[in-house]
Amino acid sequence: MAPHQKVWALETIGLRKRFGGLLANNDVSLTVDQGEVRGLIGPNGAGKTTLVNLVTGVHAADAGEVKLAGRSLRGCDMHEIARMGLVRSFQVTRLFGSMTVRENLMTAFLARRSPEAGDGEERTESMIRVTTLGHLADTPAKKLSGGQRALLQMACGFMVPSSCYVLDEPFAGINPVIKDAMIDMIVDVNKRTGATFLVVSHEMAVIRRLCPQVTVMMEGRVAAQGTLDEVARLPDVISGYLGKSLE
Amino acid sequence: MFSTELVVQTFISGVMIGVLYALMALGITFIYSIMRMINWAMGEFYMIGSYLQYMLVALVLGPDLWWLAILISTAGVFVMGLVVQWGLLKPIFRKPPEQRDDYATVVTLALLLFLRSVATGLSGPNQYSPGSDLPIIMVGPMPLAGARVAAFLFALAALALFYVVLRYTWYGLALRATSQSRVGVQTAGIDVLAVDRLAFGIGVALAGLAGALLAPVFLVYPTNGLITTVKGFEIVVIGGLGSIPGALIAGVMLGLIESFGAAFVDSSYQNIYGFALVLAILVLKPNGLFGERGREA
Repeated sequence: MAPHQKVWALETIGLRKRFGGLLANNDVSLTVDQGEVRGLIGPNGAGKTTLVNLVTGVHAADAGEVKLAGRSLRGCDMHEIARMGLVRSFQVTRLFGSMTVRENLMTAFLARRSPEAGDGEERTESMIRVTTLGHLADTPAKKLSGGQRALLQMACGFMVPSSCYVLDEPFAGINPVIKDAMIDMIVDVNKRTGATFLVVSHEMAVIRRLCPQVTVMMEGRVAAQGTLDEVARLPDVISGYLGKSLE
Repeated sequence: MFSTELVVQTFISGVMIGVLYALMALGITFIYSIMRMINWAMGEFYMIGSYLQYMLVALVLGPDLWWLAILISTAGVFVMGLVVQWGLLKPIFRKPPEQRDDYATVVTLALLLFLRSVATGLSGPNQYSPGSDLPIIMVGPMPLAGARVAAFLFALAALALFYVVLRYTWYGLALRATSQSRVGVQTAGIDVLAVDRLAFGIGVALAGLAGALLAPVFLVYPTNGLITTVKGFEIVVIGGLGSIPGALIAGVMLGLIESFGAAFVDSSYQNIYGFALVLAILVLKPNGLFGERGREA
């Protein structure tokens, strides 16, 4: 083990966050390799969303730090972190409700456009095709179904190539067709661009398809890491999260 | 006594002053929709706009260049808005959002008192007028004061420019997006505090423009922003807080009701008719004509 020599795509070192009497994250350290799709699982209240919020700058950590490709994110604002190539999605979608699907995509594009990337029209149209939201392109986002919103939010994240994506429960309450479309998009972006993913989910079937390695959080700490089948055999994980062993 | 001519003239003057009121209300509602705070010092930016206009016309440019003075006064208030956001509001908005609007209320109320005192200290309680040598304009048989017509046309042009920026530019897209989700724009990589700065500058510039345009009509003195601010808030309540079309329509409604009330009931109660409309709206439609109870997605 020589942890200081390897540069991880995403690394957290001893993250700690307290909300009043609740220690939501307690010394959370994890490393995600370049191009990896890592699952993050654990019971409700285990601190997964807190970790995502610390990593993406929504909250400032009480202690510890986050590194993106070796660069510390300490003191960075949310928009700076997004511009550095770390993009997230929210469990409750944060779309621009009165703006159309097309305008939502354009905003995501223009917010981080690079000068050589063009005006975004072409990219927007191709993303509308990929997401098969063509018939809704001029519909305000607040009129979409929950699944369509989740899909649109993910598509907004993919409008500008990023090095790392953190997805907070992207599949919760989503119908199987849209869920498959979202999984296909993640796999496609990961294969084509080598982007790194950290995916929070309770859906073991999806995690098994997407993630060779999973990290388990329980009570604000990293409880285990390994393949899904490995961690699913650990007695603590079964009693504290799964309830029974998988399959 | 209810001649057609009088009705038409009352209607025209109501619409003309209503559009000016709408500028003020638009500033309030625009800043609220982006920053989720009320700028209580709005009337003081109106006041500064009117003083700038007076000083430029009386001391520097002369009455012929009144239109240039209006542009410079508006730009001056815009820059002041940028400075106020940068120095006083941005530090508040860096903190977590829980009590942001409480702090913003205290800060903008303090700013109100400060600016009013500075104006009183520098210019005394005197009333000034930049005057206007614009001729009376005849619309058919009806005479209209040139300064009011010019103010009306300027205000229309400003509203058109505001609409074009909001609808067709990248800044407009970022502003509209911010009004719907501050977290969303930050996630997309937009510096939300920079958007705030632009929004605050534009919002107070609308008040400054109203002040500059109305300087010959309502005169220039340290508390001249008070009445227009009250009207601005009346309009915001009628139209719905955060609604831009609401501000425009309610502004014209207020102008009309005041104008007709003054002409056909009693002109000494001119500033009270609007309150009757506010009360009626609060009973019938508590969120205002175009207000939303909450926001989604």
